[in-house]
Amino acid sequence: MPAFNPFQMARSQFERVAHQLELEDSVRELLSTALREYRFALPVRMDDGSLRVFRGFRVHHNDALGPCKGGLRFHPEVSIDTARAQAMWMTWKCAVAEIPLGGANGGVICDPHNLSMPEQEQICRKWIRQIARDIGPMRDVISPDIMVSPQHMIWMMDEYETIQGERSAGITAGKPVRLAGSMGKEESTGYGLVYALREVLYDMGLSPAETTASVQGFGNVARHAIKLYHEIGGTTTCVSCWDQEDQTSYAYRKESGIDLNELSRVTDRFGGINKEKARDLGYEVLAGESWIEQDVEILIPAALENQITEENVDKISKKVKIIAEGADGPTTPAADKVIEERGIFVLPDLLANAGGAICSYFEQIQGNINYFWPQDEVLGKLDVKMTAAFIKVSELAQKSKLYMRDAAYIIAVGRVAQACRDRGWV
Amino acid sequence: MAVEHDPVEKLLLDLQERAKELNCLYRIEEVMNRPDATLDDVCEGIIAAIPPGWQYPDICEAKLTLYEKVYTSRDFHETQWVQNAEIRVQDKTVGMLSVYYTEEMPQADHGPFLKEETKLIRTIADRLGHFLMYRKVKGMFGEWRAAEEDLDGEGIKEWQVVLDLLHQTDRNLFLTVSLKMLNFLCWSGISEAEKLRRSSGADRKSDEDQIEKDSNRPQQVRKFTISNELSKKIFSLASEHLTDDEISSKIEHWIQEDKLNFLIQVVNRNLSISEVADAIRRYHHIGDGVELHSPSRRGVLVSLIRRFLSVQLNYINIAKNYLEITDFYDLLEHVIFSSESHGKLGGKAAGLTLASQIIRKSPEHADLLGDIKIPRTWYITSDMILHFMHYNNFAEVVEQKYKDINQIRFEYPHIVQTFKNSHFPPEMVAGLSVALDDFEERPLIVRSSSLLEDGVGMAFSGKYKSLFLANQGTKQQRLEALMDAIAEVYASVFSPDPIEYRTHNGLIDFDEEMAIMIQEVVGNRVGDYFLPTFAGVGFSRNEFRWSPRIKRENGLLRLVPGLGTRAVDRLSDDYPILIAPGQPDLRANTSIDEQLRYSPRQIDVINLKENSFYTMGINDLLKEAGSQIPGITKILSVHKDDQIKKPIAFNIDYENDDLIVTFDGLVSDGKFIPQVRTLMKLLEKELDRPVDIEFAHDGKNFYLLQCRPQSYVEQDTGDKIPREIEPDDVIFSAHKYISNGKVPEITHIVYVDPGGYADINELNELLAVGRVVNKLNKLLPEHGFILMGPGRWGSRGDIKLGVNVTYSDINNTAMLIEIARQKGNYVPDLSFGTHFFQDLVESNIRYLPLYPDDPGIKFNEDFLLNSPNLLPELLPDYAHLSECVHVIDVPAVTGGKVLRVYLNADQREGVGVLEDPR
Repeated sequence: MPAFNPFQMARSQFERVAHQLELEDSVRELLSTALREYRFALPVRMDDGSLRVFRGFRVHHNDALGPCKGGLRFHPEVSIDTARAQAMWMTWKCAVAEIPLGGANGGVICDPHNLSMPEQEQICRKWIRQIARDIGPMRDVISPDIMVSPQHMIWMMDEYETIQGERSAGITAGKPVRLAGSMGKEESTGYGLVYALREVLYDMGLSPAETTASVQGFGNVARHAIKLYHEIGGTTTCVSCWDQEDQTSYAYRKESGIDLNELSRVTDRFGGINKEKARDLGYEVLAGESWIEQDVEILIPAALENQITEENVDKISKKVKIIAEGADGPTTPAADKVIEERGIFVLPDLLANAGGAICSYFEQIQGNINYFWPQDEVLGKLDVKMTAAFIKVSELAQKSKLYMRDAAYIIAVGRVAQACRDRGWV
Repeated sequence: MAVEHDPVEKLLLDLQERAKELNCLYRIEEVMNRPDATLDDVCEGIIAAIPPGWQYPDICEAKLTLYEKVYTSRDFHETQWVQNAEIRVQDKTVGMLSVYYTEEMPQADHGPFLKEETKLIRTIADRLGHFLMYRKVKGMFGEWRAAEEDLDGEGIKEWQVVLDLLHQTDRNLFLTVSLKMLNFLCWSGISEAEKLRRSSGADRKSDEDQIEKDSNRPQQVRKFTISNELSKKIFSLASEHLTDDEISSKIEHWIQEDKLNFLIQVVNRNLSISEVADAIRRYHHIGDGVELHSPSRRGVLVSLIRRFLSVQLNYINIAKNYLEITDFYDLLEHVIFSSESHGKLGGKAAGLTLASQIIRKSPEHADLLGDIKIPRTWYITSDMILHFMHYNNFAEVVEQKYKDINQIRFEYPHIVQTFKNSHFPPEMVAGLSVALDDFEERPLIVRSSSLLEDGVGMAFSGKYKSLFLANQGTKQQRLEALMDAIAEVYASVFSPDPIEYRTHNGLIDFDEEMAIMIQEVVGNRVGDYFLPTFAGVGFSRNEFRWSPRIKRENGLLRLVPGLGTRAVDRLSDDYPILIAPGQPDLRANTSIDEQLRYSPRQIDVINLKENSFYTMGINDLLKEAGSQIPGITKILSVHKDDQIKKPIAFNIDYENDDLIVTFDGLVSDGKFIPQVRTLMKLLEKELDRPVDIEFAHDGKNFYLLQCRPQSYVEQDTGDKIPREIEPDDVIFSAHKYISNGKVPEITHIVYVDPGGYADINELNELLAVGRVVNKLNKLLPEHGFILMGPGRWGSRGDIKLGVNVTYSDINNTAMLIEIARQKGNYVPDLSFGTHFFQDLVESNIRYLPLYPDDPGIKFNEDFLLNSPNLLPELLPDYAHLSECVHVIDVPAVTGGKVLRVYLNADQREGVGVLEDPR
């Protein structure tokens, strides 16, 4: 029996879209494999004087639309197949947001829990040395992923610049603002989601002020989404979050609408709301799952993957018109079918949470031109990008009577395929 | 007053009397504690305080004669109804305190006086004696300082200072030394000396003549005296013929000789502590120069160690190499005991005393350990609890421990209240009062120092109370709070948990005499709070290793900001910072998210304003007064731009920065890590066993608060691995990465088969395995089951390599086992529980990695795969996962047996065996 394989999953998803797009075999073959794969050894002198050899790799899935960009993971379980799947997914994500970048991914097989900071620094620098000639601010931009921090990004940038003999901050993303990072990173995903949501409401002929929303999660993405949604006139009646002390989640409801500032003041840094204090503020404390049952127009799952499932999809109120996916993969395929049948409008994750990727792209641009924009400018440009991206997907969905999720993939794959053709690759 | 009282009224009257007595003592303390009080003020204060303390205040008068000066109540006249107490300073009577009744009163215990009043007058007289002694020593110290300053200016010689001191403190010895000098000068053939001797009547020559003449007749006894004047002459003569160094060395030598005699006498008789203390005090006052003859010194020393610290041979063997007789002087100066006391100081005191001496006497580590301090500590001897109970007539409470445990549990709150509402014997009150003078208004901790903790290798986990006191307010308020705390700690001897533990370990018949340590809390005043900058506990052996690179001997530190209570206790909702001092760069939490989640959020402090122990949010304290905490920048990092960075000095904005406790600065910059590592290594080496220490840091200095063998904590002792096991009864064995720890009896095994898990190729099904674990976690008996599964539990990476769970999905398990099966030519890395490591530590869930394919390892796959599987019955919705998830009811399939897991890190062995339940 074949084992579960993330790359197989990404491929079969692509095949479905390729079939809808009626892509020819050569294009399918090109897009279902990575253009380039690098694997290399990283000998590292450990603190105790011993030498250990780590395995590192990088996958460039496709750079037809522009330089590659993608995450780097430090994890004992990373494999080339995980990287292939992630790189392909990144290609589509950049394409749907209409940013001129391709997808990449990479990693080092290691567990940072077993490594001191000096050892981790060695790994970062050795990794760059091995691949410096095949990456670059206009070739492949490295961004942080699992167990990779801004500090690692700075070490990598430093090593790359040392090798190149010049400053090239665009080589890595996710850096702190004080050292070639971009403003607006915190807000980007949550705001991006609401920029798109605003367009959905406009298309539906609804004023945000006539709508209410229920949000799963109260972390960075959720809070910024709520903030902007309230600014454009919306009302959030329910949020849910994890309660560390009780090891369960709760939903907090106020029919008249939650006050973001007031609730934020009783929230810890992990987005955990203090149950007692919230109750004192007049919030009803309900079971965590009840966020999904609320009589609202909009549901925003912005916490974890696999939250809307076969088991709870039927609890979604008849009033719900829109599901805006702030988290990655919050809806299981089985639940997705039910939602599609019920005609609820889905703002799919690929598009809805593209704000983060767009901001990361802005960071690369700013690094390349060595000029850093103020926050307003970053967020303004983000609005323009998100709105444009949404309109394209939504037009296609309407025109071709497609489910939004499919439309997003079709646009993404179509754009990449077109670029490959334009370049005469296929 | 021959009126018959009913019992209740009698009790009330008694209580009123005790209250009056206490008030009287308090008033006297108040006067003595006024910094500007003259001796007259104090004496008059005593005269005024006495009448209200006696049974008939209206007709009570007092008289105090001191150094020929007399103080009396107004209109005083002597009568025949009197009780007296001598006032003594260093064994010399310097005065007399008398209490008179002016009219005849009914007969009581001693004439018209109650026996408590006899005790009270004695206590007051003793307290006054101490007070006078204190003033005298203080004065002497001033003189000595002045003399020392003169020395620099070629004024008084060193030996003159010694002699003066001797003259004032020990007249007998002073005379002895003078005489010996005279003899020495005579033997040296100095004729002026002969003359002096004759004039003094100490004419040995004529004695010798007589001996020669009449050897059978007893010698004539002659009165022999040396006056101060003669002594002066002797030493002025000596200074003409001898160098200063010679005189000094002679004086020292004779003093030492004298010391030896009385000390040996004292320690070889079973005298009370007060007598031993006097002897040691004398030994100490004489000065500490030439060593006593070694065998005698050893004998005395060992007797003292046995007497006060421990009877354990192991302990004595080590302690005798590190302790000096004079160390007991410092110790006994800070001991509170009654005149008849024969008690000890308990295990904590013994551990701390020895550790502090080992540190002091290891000059090779002076650069790192030289400035380690021990906080000021007072002790109450172990038998004082009996004295206290006897004084309050609590005889029946002693039998408490033989009652049924449920009854003990039920009655315990009442016992606490009874203890807290009782009275302390006057001697204790006086002792505590002196201690409080010494501590001034610094916050205190009252800790138990049990004799049971003294048992080597005995894992005494029965925890007695430790209480913090703000120690603020008037002397009376502080004294009351201190006594209240001591009563509560005393009551904890009768709390159900230690009794249960003692019954279980056959210790119940051991008379639990519990000594008390009153320790100054280390720290600084910060706003309205008092706290150390940080504190923690250290283990020289690490039993919670988060990486295979960390070895047991790398040790473990649990660090918290503020008071160490949060590091000592396991808290489910907050986390200390874990550091292995031997591998300080391998941190338990590496990613930003982990560092944020597992950093301490609360802090324990003493609230000086509210006079209480207080837990508050760290951020609240930092915002309020962060900049005032010395050295706080070493333990804080700033979270900004998704980075956690050590702050640059003066660059912290306590109001607005997102501050995280990481201890990063302490680990990377200071000498703290090498210091604590060296300390634990040294103590482990010298004490010849793994140690567990408590410490606190006030931003400047490292204070050692406690040191005991690690084996005292039952959790940290290795299990005895059974040798005679039926091969079929072994479920698994392990030889790598074993940590000591206790696992309860297991009735259910949840086994996620690595093969079955690998065969699942649907993401949803893989996720479903996690949900099954979540549901089983709620269904199976709490801490009665273990989870065994492939690879990395809780992995956030590739789900294929480990079951997708969070801590809440597994929090009821007793043990988490990760199985690393060989795949082709490699064995996958295990997680070591890192995804929720600190949660496992805080809730005492043990972790074990298994390598079934290693040579010599037993892994009973047949039992795990082929025993009847409960899963379809327990969770019918997930029956289709039965190939992968196996739930085994151990007693049901083995005829009543349970699974027992034995772990022994020293032997690097772990084994899971089917056994009959106990």
